[in-house]
Amino acid sequence: MKHPLVRWIRPSMLCVIGASLSSTFCTLSRAEDWTQFRGPRAIGVALNASLPEKFDGQSGQNIGWKASIPGRSVGGVIVVGDQVITTSSDGMDQRRIRLLSYDSATGKQNWEQQWVARGRPYCHPTSANAAPTPASDGKRVFAFFSSNDLAAVDLEGNLVWYRSLASDFPKAGNDVGMSSSPVVVGGVVIVQVECQGDSFAIGLNAEDGTTVWKLDRPRKANWSSPTMVQLPNGKPAVILQSSEDLTAISPTDGKAFWRVPIACSTTSSAVSEDGRLIVPSGGLTALDLSSSGAPSELWKENKLNPNACSPVVVGDKVYVVNRTVLVCGDVFTGKVLWQLRLPDANQIWSSPVVAGNRLFLFSMEGACFVVALEGEQGAIVETNKLGDEVLGSPAISGNAMYVRGATSLWKITSQ
Amino acid sequence: MIKNPLHPSWKQHCFRAIVRAGTLAACLTMSAPVCMADVLSDQLSALRTIQPGDEKGLQQAASIAKQLSSSKELSLVQVLSAMKGASPIGKNWLVGLANGLHRKSPATQTAELEKFLADKTQDGEARYTVFRWLTDGNEERKTQWLEEMLFDPSLEIRFDAVARALASSEEIDQARLTTLLDAARHPEQVAAIIARLGKAGVEVDQAKHLGFLTRWDFIGPFDNIGSKNFDKVYPVETDWTKNQLAESYEGKTGKVTWAEGTSESPEGALDLAKIFNKEKGCIVYGKTTVNVPSDVDCEIRVGCINAQKVWVNGELVIANEVYHTGMQIDQYAVPVRLKAGENRILIKVCQNEQKEAWAQLFTFQARLCDSTGKAILLDP
Repeated sequence: MKHPLVRWIRPSMLCVIGASLSSTFCTLSRAEDWTQFRGPRAIGVALNASLPEKFDGQSGQNIGWKASIPGRSVGGVIVVGDQVITTSSDGMDQRRIRLLSYDSATGKQNWEQQWVARGRPYCHPTSANAAPTPASDGKRVFAFFSSNDLAAVDLEGNLVWYRSLASDFPKAGNDVGMSSSPVVVGGVVIVQVECQGDSFAIGLNAEDGTTVWKLDRPRKANWSSPTMVQLPNGKPAVILQSSEDLTAISPTDGKAFWRVPIACSTTSSAVSEDGRLIVPSGGLTALDLSSSGAPSELWKENKLNPNACSPVVVGDKVYVVNRTVLVCGDVFTGKVLWQLRLPDANQIWSSPVVAGNRLFLFSMEGACFVVALEGEQGAIVETNKLGDEVLGSPAISGNAMYVRGATSLWKITSQ
Repeated sequence: MIKNPLHPSWKQHCFRAIVRAGTLAACLTMSAPVCMADVLSDQLSALRTIQPGDEKGLQQAASIAKQLSSSKELSLVQVLSAMKGASPIGKNWLVGLANGLHRKSPATQTAELEKFLADKTQDGEARYTVFRWLTDGNEERKTQWLEEMLFDPSLEIRFDAVARALASSEEIDQARLTTLLDAARHPEQVAAIIARLGKAGVEVDQAKHLGFLTRWDFIGPFDNIGSKNFDKVYPVETDWTKNQLAESYEGKTGKVTWAEGTSESPEGALDLAKIFNKEKGCIVYGKTTVNVPSDVDCEIRVGCINAQKVWVNGELVIANEVYHTGMQIDQYAVPVRLKAGENRILIKVCQNEQKEAWAQLFTFQARLCDSTGKAILLDP
């Protein structure tokens, strides 16, 4: 019997779509790599992965390994080959910014890089200078920090280049903390720096860090991350959202393909799947990407409010986390199908991920809700305690989930 | 495809090859070690001097970093030493290069690194990097070394030393706390030590210790409806620059006059919302003077939740049109030179009309200190 979640997308189609997008966006990454915030396609889904439903940080049940990490991070981890890579910030005012690689099999540290923040490192106590998730093109790793320091290293941890965007644009910064994560498309590293001071999106040559293009952006605080889509003509585009509009730009020159004047969320980020762009705007707004030109609206549903976490689309359903309630909607109509209260979850910042037919969602306190998605109504099958604060979104690679706690890195697997 | 030997890129290639061969021959026949040392020195120099916005320099730096990452001639201490006097961006290129080299360096380099750490004339960030390498995973050594580094010129080392001392499970006596207060530079650590001294019955004026400017004269409110007047030059600004301030001005809703405001906060915060009755969409000016015994280079450091401009002796030194995105002590820090005698400071603080509970704050704090964060000496 076919899995109900893949009713609308056959596995063979998934492979074609996945391969096509992978070849467009991540030419050098491996199939199981999780190369950026929400994975290689920025959708937070690994349908073929099999993760344990039950795990426990204290007893070590289904914990592959745990690595203590100096400093603090609220960003996600990435996986490149056999390396699990994360950022951290510590020292005076969290000015020491670090990029660390661990062996995915053993949890032993491979290498570490370290710089000193040149922009203002300040942030809300719940956040950290190490807030954005790093990104990789399979050859290099790009680490971005709230202080607007951006560095590239090779897979052995050697410095490739370094930029202090706060030195180039001194009014760039937000002392609540910035968290927009970079993306890498076609040899260009793209970061979105939006605040009340110098606001811009910038494309940098992945090889040497030189500026390929720069766009002025609205001077309003924005924590959302750029995401990628493929246009009907096969060209890759990067989606930038703000409280003023939604824009698709060319990663190679920053020129706009189209702009839609809708007010988007400045925290959660858009997700693209199967010719649709699901945008956190007025709750959720679905746009049709299947025709050329500016996309038309398919539906809008304010009850599907993703709040701080980014939405996830699997098959014919879209999932959002509205504060401490998981809400499922029909991806074709926006109709709310079910809601599930997450008991004792105080705050949730970490975007959910899906492996197989299970959704994994961490509360800030480190409780992981495992939700079965196959029924008419979602059901919590387990609530696991990690014993670490979690604000970043997990990474999935093979049959393992990697979670960056505020002070530790965890591998969760039954193997 | 047969390449055209007359193609310009081919000729260019030949020319470069000849130059390279010539350079190599010169190195080999004359003084190879000296030549290589010169090349390395030039390469390190290119990294250490890189400035903001230097795209050409950036491209060159990336190329150099690639070469130096695998260089067998370059020593780790050479890279660390180059950090002294380097630009802030240059230091991050060098520290990034050093981290890569350190990973590959033999354990025999430990003695050299210890020597480098002991040399207090070296760059503070470089020394702290070395300190971390040498104490990583060795808590006993870290504690022992930090105990002797309370007054280290590296602020990062000093910060760790004070933090380690404060985290000690043993009770800290008054004399020790006084020593720690003398060593501490970070405002949070200073506050923690003063709080402990307070429990021991020793009162220390925290705001004064940190150099906060607590006595101001304020005038306002002036109009800032729609947050449109951040750059509007009200007569207060021009008159203050001329040192000819009037006693009253036309404000947002009528005539306004100067009134004294004093901070009672240990962090030197001035609550303008309280002084100006929670007025929104407005601007308030504050003026104060400080007297110093002789000319002094120092920093004015401002924390402000609202948009603000600051002038020192007629010169605009700080301007941030940012509302309600966090406030920190030392949020905005700039170097200034004060002259012997009286120095005049003016601040313009702008409040917007946001209605959220967290957007009602209308406050700032300002202090004068040296580059380490120690309050400068003021005449009474």
